[in-house]
Amino acid sequence: MRIINYTYPVSRSPYSGLEGEINRLFSSAFADFAGSTRAVNPQFAVDLYEDNDNAYVRAELPGVTREDIGVELVDGTLTIQASRRQPSANGGESTSFSRSLSVPGEIQADKVAAAYENGVLTVTLPKKEESKPRKITVSVK
Amino acid sequence: MSLFTTTAPSPSCQPAPTGSDSSPAVRPAYDVKETADAYALTVRLPGVAKDGLEITAEGGELRIAGRRNWKQPEGWTTLHRETSDVSFKLVLEHDARIDVEKIHADLKEGILSVSLPKAETLKPRKIAVN
Repeated sequence: MRIINYTYPVSRSPYSGLEGEINRLFSSAFADFAGSTRAVNPQFAVDLYEDNDNAYVRAELPGVTREDIGVELVDGTLTIQASRRQPSANGGESTSFSRSLSVPGEIQADKVAAAYENGVLTVTLPKKEESKPRKITVSVK
Repeated sequence: MSLFTTTAPSPSCQPAPTGSDSSPAVRPAYDVKETADAYALTVRLPGVAKDGLEITAEGGELRIAGRRNWKQPEGWTTLHRETSDVSFKLVLEHDARIDVEKIHADLKEGILSVSLPKAETLKPRKIAVN
């Protein structure tokens, strides 16, 4: 038996935007009381797209140097890690971020490419041939 | 919004009052640090390149406008979207406490660092007494 991962597409209902905003409002408000997790592991925005040949991930990571970005693909899960070093009076502080997301389809792991421009990291993940959508014509007898 | 109010730096963007122009905009996350001679302003503008950035200083206000120039290519299906294409807009009042002529700005990898030297009149000065 195979376990299939569903990713529900972003719904276009009139409430989805508002619900999302309110969820985010609550999570950020409570995070200040709870303290730890939010401050230690801040989140960055991530987009996921696909077309017939590739899957694409865009992550907003301003102010990070290329050497401080780590991208890993393990079993269909892409993990992006980055650490931002901020020089300050007491010797500099560094914050690290990490985010994982599951990527649809079978990916050719050795052909994954990433580019970092204007603070946005774009990861291109080519799909395996058998994973690409193909038209199959069936003749009905 | 004053340059000098020490509010906690907001980690995320907030919708900005649009003011005179009607295009939607968000206020970017920013941070101001003070040193003896200048204020250092750091603004997070992911996805903004130098040609999409405009900084103007007029009438005691510093305005920073950034346009994101990324367009989603045809044929890409969106599966999950958290970023947005909305432009950034930040307006800070400085009340003539900075020397507008000597402002220096640098945009690197989506982070804008602006150095705002303090106006001469405000630097501490010793006054001799006869």
